[in-house]
This record gives sequence, structure tokens and C-alpha cells, in this order.
Amino acid sequence: MGSRTLVCTGCGCLCDDVQVDIEGGLPGRIENACARGAAYLRAAFNARRRAGARIRGDACSPEAAIDEAARLLSRARRRLVFGLDSSTQEAQRLAVELAQKLGAVIDGASSFSWGPLIERIVGQDLPSCSLSDVKDKADLLLYWGANPTATHPRHLSRHTYYAYTEFNPAGWYPRVTLASVDVRQTELAAMSKPAFRIKPGGDRGLISGVLGESPADAQAGQLAELVRKSRFCALFCGLGLVQALDGDLDAFTRMVRMPGQSVRMAVIPMIAETNMMGLTRTLHERTSYVNSISFAGDVSGGRQFSFVEQVRQQAADCILVIGSDPFAALPQSLLAQLQGPNVSIICMDHFPTLTADAADVVVPTAVPGVESSGTLVRLDGERVALAEPVKDGPLTQEAALVRLMEKVQP
Amino acid sequence: MTSPQAELVLTLVFHDDAYLPVVSLAEGWGDAYQKKAAVVRLAKADMEKLGLKANDRVRITAPAGSVVVAARPDAAGEAGIALMASSLYTNTLAGCGTGSHVLPLRHIEGRAAVTDRDVTPVRDLVVKRDRA
Repeated sequence: MGSRTLVCTGCGCLCDDVQVDIEGGLPGRIENACARGAAYLRAAFNARRRAGARIRGDACSPEAAIDEAARLLSRARRRLVFGLDSSTQEAQRLAVELAQKLGAVIDGASSFSWGPLIERIVGQDLPSCSLSDVKDKADLLLYWGANPTATHPRHLSRHTYYAYTEFNPAGWYPRVTLASVDVRQTELAAMSKPAFRIKPGGDRGLISGVLGESPADAQAGQLAELVRKSRFCALFCGLGLVQALDGDLDAFTRMVRMPGQSVRMAVIPMIAETNMMGLTRTLHERTSYVNSISFAGDVSGGRQFSFVEQVRQQAADCILVIGSDPFAALPQSLLAQLQGPNVSIICMDHFPTLTADAADVVVPTAVPGVESSGTLVRLDGERVALAEPVKDGPLTQEAALVRLMEKVQP
Repeated sequence: MTSPQAELVLTLVFHDDAYLPVVSLAEGWGDAYQKKAAVVRLAKADMEKLGLKANDRVRITAPAGSVVVAARPDAAGEAGIALMASSLYTNTLAGCGTGSHVLPLRHIEGRAAVTDRDVTPVRDLVVKRDRA
């Protein structure tokens, strides 16, 4: 039996203190992982929960699956590479090279979720900081449209509220104010003092009230005062906020910039995917766009190159999905556009996702952090190196992409 | 005492759930997933308006689709707001909208109506694809 310390790749927290006892090639006791992380690790070791190589539903060798994937990509004329939000930096770079070689469109899930917020952080319109900057330094933790108890179960204990080293002497309460804005009563809202409860879609009105651009109600006044009295406000944004604002973050950006020099504000997106921040940064460095990019001819970007628009317009004739499960995440009415003989789907994944079930070709790959090493970028922008693999597995995504690149004909 | 209403117009709020990913990682999209996902939480006042008891079936309808799920009371719930964990059930209800920067996967308008039908099986919500 051996005990190994891993970086958990179950969510965007990338907890680097997870210990796994490995007995006879199987995980025994798992320490420091949340329920999601433990389920992820156990699935990685469970042969029944792993993807197998398939061509149109029939089992095959991984090599045959890669050959068929190369054939489909070579035959196609309008290729789309999608996903990569949970792939290592190394795999992401190779996928970008593949997309360039094929003159393909490339996109990640940020195009229908976090894109507008990440774009402003990467472009430095919104100030951000690392989680280690937050701990013990921020005196106001404000979660807006986010419930880490569901999405990032160890966020509070590892990085923020419960990670603070100073406590009030009379009890157990950290020396920091925990506040939240949400449309419902969550576990976090129950802990927050104060908790601002708003109507669905009421985010815009609250921001407008804080900015003084509309008559401020009591909540807007209290929130503005709370921020104004703080020295360092760490604002953790959830998808609830981005969705409620329909991606229009102008007023939100003004609100974050409003307190002036006396209050430090930092925005951190509560991204669930393990390396969405890494993908958006890689794409931004190479193309100046964070998602939705076409390499056909000159590099161009825009909503027409997003996965959703590509599917809606039936613009792609071959889709390579890498480490993502759009068939589990997106509306059925959209996915219905992927029927018929005019589009083929190749899925590269470690788990038997719904996208793998629907794909023409499945290429099984190693689980990052368990069967392969590499680098990820955490939700706060910090780079995290994965530990050495703890077990053998199928091809890494990197190796599968290299082989695919060797075989495809643009 | 007033008679129960046949139908209620609601704002459907979709939210992340801690345990749905755990279930799907462990067992895929089977019975355990359905049991966790096929649930709508309604304010007690709305449960009473519809004459519902905990776990009675309710049909949720939105412009993009319709599902039958189990109704549960939400003690902290607000009348007019229904909560559902983001899942294949909410993916059926959410449209893919046009003109939006982000997909409307968080809150949409819908209706709830009492039904004696069974919960929509999760297998019916998986998009089957005719392969090329």
C-alpha cells in the first residue's frame, strides 16, 4: 500500500493536498477530498466508469479510433474543435496547433458561460487577484450569484472564510465579513452576514442602485456601505451573476471600479471547470480572443464561431470534442441540430459521457492528475503543476493529439 | 377553503447541486441521477395553491419543453419561484435563445401543473443521435 498526494482535478479549486491510499491498484482511504473530488478519483480508478475506444458504437483499439478520427477530420471541410476546459495547458496548446493546421474553428465552454467576465479579467478591465492574496488579507468576502458549498465544496475551507488564521477571541468566527447576494436561500446565504436576497434577474437593479444610477433601495444602500467600509473586498462571481446580466458587464465593471483608491476590489470567477482560465489565457495570448476563434484564413473571432452558433447554424461538418460534455450541459433543443449524416462527432475523454455516447468515434484518454501530469491554471489565474501520475492509463490527451496531428490531412 | 389551482405561472431558477455530479460520476445517468434531478422545490404557499403534498408529481412546462418531476416544499422559498438543480431535466426546459450573450440556463419563465403521470424517465431526456 502506498499513500500519494494528488492535485484533485474534480473542480476549479485544484486542491493540492488530497491524499489517496492505493491498495492493489485501487483507491482506499481518500483524505482531504470533498464528495465530488472523491467521486472523481474513484471513477478514475473504476474500469466500468471509464470511456472505451469506439467507432460508431463498436469497441475498437485506441489506434483504430485515432485513425478513424483522423480520417473524419481530413475528409471534413468545416471542422470545429471544442472543449479543452479541463485539459492541461500542454494539451490545450497542441489542440490549438491542430485547429490551426486544419483551419478549424476552436471554442470552449466559456463562450456560453464565463466568457464575458473572463474577457474583462484577462483584458484587465476588472481587477483580480490570487486566492493566496485573499486569505487573511481581504476583510470582505462577497459571493454574488455563487454557492461554493455546491460548486466548489472546499473553497471556503481551503481558500477563504475557514482558511483565515485569525479568529474572534469569543468564538470561532474568522476575522472577516462574509456576505452574499443570491436569488435563493443557500447554505452560504445562511452563513452570510449580511445575505442580500434579490429577485431572479434583480442583479442589474441592485448594481444600478449601488451606482446611484437608480433610486437606491435599502439593500443597495447597505451593500454600497459594506463595500465602502472595507479595505479589501474579494468579489467571487458565480454564473448566476453572469447569466442575470446576460453577459453585459458594463455597469458591473463601473460598480467594481467605483469605491476608489481607499478600497481594494478584486474579482474572482467561481469557475467549475478545472482549466477554463488556462484555455482562455492560452487563446488570448495567441489570438487576442478568449474563445470563439476561426483559423480559416486569417485568425478571426466572434460569436458566429461559438459552439452554440456553430451548432445552431449547422456550420461544422466535423466536431472534435476534447474533455467536455456538451450533451450533458446544453439544451436538448440545440443538440437536436446535431442529427443526421452531415456532421460527425469525435469525442476524446476519460469518462463515458453523454457526448461519448453520441459520438461517431471515441478516443479514451488519461485522467489528468491521476494518469498524466501537466499544468493547469486555477480559477484565480495561478498555475498549478499536477503531481506525477499514480497509475498507468490510456494515452494522454497530449499523446492522442500528437498522433492525430501526424495523421490528419488539412 | 378554496379549490386548488390547476396551474401556476412561475419563475424557474436553475442552480448547481453538490451531489448530482457525484451521482453521475459514480453511476452515470441512471436511477440515482433521476431520483436527485427530477425534483422541483416550491414555496409552501405555491404547494398549497396547487394542492400538492411532498413528492406529488407536477408537470413543469417552459417554451422549450416539458418534464414531470416530484414536487418538494422549500421552507425558505418565495412564492412564484421554483428551484431546480441544473440537469438534463432543466436542459429540456431551457431554450437555446437567440441574441443572448450567454445561454438562458439560470432562470426562465414556466408553468407548473398537477399531474398523475410518472416522473419523466431520464433516458427520455438523453439526446439520441443518428450517427453519420
